[in-house]
Amino acid sequence: MEQVLEGTPKAEITLDGRRVTRGDVSPDWGSKLQWQIRRDGKEIATAPARMAMTFEYADTAAGMYEIVLQLFKYVNYTKNAQGEYTDSKFVDVSNVVSYTT
Amino acid sequence: MLHIGNEKVSLCSGVNRRSFLQVGAAGMAGLTLPTLIKLEAAGAVDDSKAKIKNCITLFLVGSPGHLDTWDMKPEAPDDIRGAFKPIDTNVPGIQICEHFPRMARMMDKVALIRSLHHNTGASHENGQRWMMTGHDFSADNMQPYIGSVISRMFGGRSNLPASVILPDKIGNTGTSTPHGQDPAWLGSGHQPFFLGGDPSRGDFKVADLQPPAGQTEFRINSRRRVLAELDQLQRRTESSTTIQRDTAYSRAFNLLTSPETKRAFDLTEETEKLRDRYGRNTFGQSCLMARRMIEHGSRFVTVNHFDTVFNIACWDMHADGGGLNNTHKDYENLLCPQFDQAFTALVEDLEGRGLLQETVIAVLSEFGRTPKLNARGGRDHYPSAWTNFFCGGNIKGGQAIGSTDKIGAAPHDYPILPPRILASIYHGMGIDLETTMMPGPGGRPIRFVEAEPIPELF
Repeated sequence: MEQVLEGTPKAEITLDGRRVTRGDVSPDWGSKLQWQIRRDGKEIATAPARMAMTFEYADTAAGMYEIVLQLFKYVNYTKNAQGEYTDSKFVDVSNVVSYTT
Repeated sequence: MLHIGNEKVSLCSGVNRRSFLQVGAAGMAGLTLPTLIKLEAAGAVDDSKAKIKNCITLFLVGSPGHLDTWDMKPEAPDDIRGAFKPIDTNVPGIQICEHFPRMARMMDKVALIRSLHHNTGASHENGQRWMMTGHDFSADNMQPYIGSVISRMFGGRSNLPASVILPDKIGNTGTSTPHGQDPAWLGSGHQPFFLGGDPSRGDFKVADLQPPAGQTEFRINSRRRVLAELDQLQRRTESSTTIQRDTAYSRAFNLLTSPETKRAFDLTEETEKLRDRYGRNTFGQSCLMARRMIEHGSRFVTVNHFDTVFNIACWDMHADGGGLNNTHKDYENLLCPQFDQAFTALVEDLEGRGLLQETVIAVLSEFGRTPKLNARGGRDHYPSAWTNFFCGGNIKGGQAIGSTDKIGAAPHDYPILPPRILASIYHGMGIDLETTMMPGPGGRPIRFVEAEPIPELF
C-alpha cells in the first residue's frame, strides 16, 4: 500500500527584516519540511523547517533574496541512474517573501 | 462452559501453572482434568488488576537500518556510519538520528533496546514471525499472533474487536511463508480485524462496516434472529469450532449494526489540527485510528507501516536500482519525518487523554541492516543486530538497554532475542508468565512464550 498524501498543503509566511516566520502547514503531509533560499532567482540553500517557526538566513552577500516553505511530495520512489527522484520532489506550500541586501 | 473476561470459551483458558502441576494429585482424588482446569481457570487473568490495559505496536515493515536511526556510530568509517548525523536527546548520553527531532525531545519516555538479534534466517518473514508471535515456525506449525492471544485471554471491552491491524495485513514481502498475524489454533473468533482501507483517503470507509448492497439494517437483524434459532438447534452438537464461528458471527453483526463501532472508525470527529499533527498520510492517520480503537475498547492494535517492500518507498533500503531501490533520500525526505511526526503525536495524544499510562507502545521491526554500505550505498538484511523500543504504560523511559559493538555488527552486551520482547509485552499487560498458561492446540495448557520479560523495562 503506497502512502497516500491527503489534500494540498498551504502555509502563510511573513517577513520581519531578514527573519521569516511561518504558520502551521495544513493539511500537513508529515514529510520533510524545508526553507528554500534563492538569491537572484537561483537556489543557494535549503534549511530544515519542521522544528522552528522562524528562520533567518545568515548569508548577507549582496542580492535579492526570496524565501519559500517547501514540503516533500512523494509520488513514487523512482530514481534515475544518479539516484535522484524522477517524479517525487519538494513543492512550494507557502507564499514567497523577499528582501534585498 | 466458562467465561474469561467477556469471552465464552469451551475449555481451559489462563490456566494457572501451579494448578496444572496439581492435576496429578487431583486426579487421584477423583477430579478429571477438564473439571479442575475449569475450576481454576476463571480468575487466572484478571484484567481489573492490570495497570496496562492496551498495547499499540507500530511495525516497521522492511526494517530501518539501526545505524541510520537509533544506534548511530558516528566514529565508524565512512562506509559504515552512513549519511546521517546523530543529535542529542533530552536524555544525556543518548543520541539518535537527526531526522527524528521530535522524538529526541521525548527520549525520557522511550526505552531503546539496542541489542536485539536472531539467527533463524534473514527473510522479512522470519523477523515478522518472531516479533508478532515470539516464535519462528513453518506453515504447518502455525503460532498465534500476540493480538489474538490477548483477545483470547482478555476478550473484548466493547463491540470493537479486541485485536485490530491497521491499515491492512502484511502482504508480499518476499517469500510465501507466514507473517505471524494469524490466530493459528486460537481460531477465527480471535482473528485480528483488518481495517482493509486507507484512513488518509477522503472517501475512506471500512469495508466490513458497509452492509452488502440491498441489505438494510432490518434485514440484517432478521437474519441474525434466524441464525440465533439455528444456533440453538446446533448447540446439541456443540464443539469448539461451533463456538468460534458463533463468536465470529456475533462480532460481525456487532460491527455492522453498532453506532458506537461506526463512530470509532470516523476520523472526521477529530480536529483538523490533530489530524495534521499525526501527518496526513496513510501511516499517520492509521496511528490516529489506533488511538481511537484503544479509546473505544480494542486492546491490541498493530499499525503496519507498509504492507509490502516492493516498488514503494519503505524501510527496506537495498538501493538496488530496481524494485527495492530505497535509499537514504527516502529515509530523509519521507520515512523518518513521517515516523517522527506520527509516533510523537501518538505519544502526546495518548498522554493528553490520560491513556498513555495504561497503554504500552512497542515499535518493532524484523531485523537490522548491514553495517557496511553495499556498493550502491544501501544496506541489506541483517538479523544479527538491531534496535526496537518501548514507550508508555509502566515502561521506564530514558534508557538504552543493551548495546552493539563499534560498528553495530553484533550485540556488545546484554544480547536480547525476540521472544523477550513478546514476554515483556505480556508482562506489561498484567500477565504473570510464571503462574499463568494459555490454551495451546486442542486446549492443552502451554506457556505464552519461552522467555522472560526484560526486567530493566519496568
